[in-house]
Amino acid sequence: MLADAIAAERFRLLRDRSALFWGFGFAPLVGFILAMGGDLFVRTIIKRPMPGATVDLAAQVIKALGNGASTMAALFLMIGAASILAGDYRWETWRLRTPRNSRFNLLAAKLIVIGEAIMWSLVLTVALTLAAAVIGAGINGKAIVASTLGLSEIAGVFVVTWLEAMSLAALAACVAVVARSPMAAVVVCLVVRFVQSILAATLGMTPEPTWKALAIPAYDADLLRAFVSAPSHAGMDGGPAGWALLVLLGWIAALTAGAIVLFQQQDLTRE
Amino acid sequence: MSIALEATGLTKTYGAVRALDDFSIAIPAGGVFGVLGPNGAGKSTLFRIALGLVRPTSGTARLFGAPAGDVAALRRVGAMIETPRYPPYLTARDTLRMLALESGFQNPDIAAWLERVSLTHAADRATSGFSVGMKQRLGLAAAFLTRPELVILDEPTSGMDPAGIQEIRALIVDLARHEGVTVILASHQLDEVKRVCDRVAILSHGRVVAEGGVAELTAGEARLRLTLASPLAPVLAVLADRGQADGPDAVLADIPRAEAPAVIRALVEAGAEIVEARWREVDLEGVYLKSLGQTPTAAAPEGAA
Repeated sequence: MLADAIAAERFRLLRDRSALFWGFGFAPLVGFILAMGGDLFVRTIIKRPMPGATVDLAAQVIKALGNGASTMAALFLMIGAASILAGDYRWETWRLRTPRNSRFNLLAAKLIVIGEAIMWSLVLTVALTLAAAVIGAGINGKAIVASTLGLSEIAGVFVVTWLEAMSLAALAACVAVVARSPMAAVVVCLVVRFVQSILAATLGMTPEPTWKALAIPAYDADLLRAFVSAPSHAGMDGGPAGWALLVLLGWIAALTAGAIVLFQQQDLTRE
Repeated sequence: MSIALEATGLTKTYGAVRALDDFSIAIPAGGVFGVLGPNGAGKSTLFRIALGLVRPTSGTARLFGAPAGDVAALRRVGAMIETPRYPPYLTARDTLRMLALESGFQNPDIAAWLERVSLTHAADRATSGFSVGMKQRLGLAAAFLTRPELVILDEPTSGMDPAGIQEIRALIVDLARHEGVTVILASHQLDEVKRVCDRVAILSHGRVVAEGGVAELTAGEARLRLTLASPLAPVLAVLADRGQADGPDAVLADIPRAEAPAVIRALVEAGAEIVEARWREVDLEGVYLKSLGQTPTAAAPEGAA
């Protein structure tokens, strides 16, 4: 039953080219274009050789993934998420779908498909970052060097960024259900992400993580990324990272549960 | 006889508006059941509650004996509620494909249904460019796609041209009569209901004000028209509050058919010279308007007594 709802939601997203492109493809593509533009600028305008310059592919991928749920990237991810979450309100198509599956399955399927789409968006980010780095190295004669960071660090940052984006998607689900509007979901998530980044930067200046700071998903994600991307986590105390992971998962679970409960109680009088 | 849709003491309020008011009905499985009523009578609210789109304020609704919104029961149901809307980027074919996936229905015969509702030519066009009639047709295909046992149709022919209306009516009757699908049909078009439905419920202000077979409802409302060659007064005196003058030389008698011979005999004994006695049938429109407390204005057809 849930599998049916997921299949339908995935089928629908794959045909919604606008949501696919702007929501999940645009940010990685812009990152690639900017990186290539920078390298071409150095090569064709500045025309200055870069002797001794090197490229650490793993570090570049981790840096790009670290920005994968930044305020700007979140804007695009939430455009995609909101079009999935609130599309049935916008197009008044719940009346077609609700009689065919349970409300739990319908909303859970949306979040699962958003999770898939965010994952593929991050995979695209990795692929395009690697491509830009390799092509850029070729253009400017930079040497590609072996990194101290490996696949486990990349995978760790990937998962943390995915979780951070999913916390925003779960918030978008709550807002979409309450406001019945894609625009509201995007705007609220964007504002929340922006405020989070300011609070995380402010509260994160203390040497030890505080509970106030740990309550902020963006802070948790930064803490976790720093932890998982440190080579062998040398010299780092895993305690705060563990708490950060729990809080981040807690936010996702609480917001997802809230969205589902609200949706199950909701009268669909117009949609 | 099994019950397809049952509502017991159903009440739904939207703020100060009472869309359904202690509403009860039991719609049997089999045939086409018409739901008539003016705008705001509660038809769509009833359907939305049955389909789990809206929660009742009080009372219960059951589909095939299961609580409204039960997914297993809903999978036995197809529905088209009000004017259907679709994701604009999906084609007609993709819309049906998506809905079949949503229902977990394997191997839907999408091409056959598109052909049945005359949308083959537009199968691969985005629904954003569809006319209201085309959207209605696609909604019908969507409702019947998963071969449900019960189909709920809310104004299925609204926005269609006359040929399309006839075609869709024929489809509904065909599915109900030959494929055993129970159809619950809400419509403003009394002619449509009369042609298609076996039984009818008339709703007003969130309650059922009349219910029965179409023939039964109209037959119960027939009146005997007596044309007289003698003065009306003695006849009206015999009939008392069951009679009224209908022109200078005729009387309308509100009497059951079974009582007609005895009444006519009594009138003749009272000195009435009856030239003609005919049953004036009241059509569905008359029953409908009378149920809503309004007076029929059009002349009703007549039948020989």
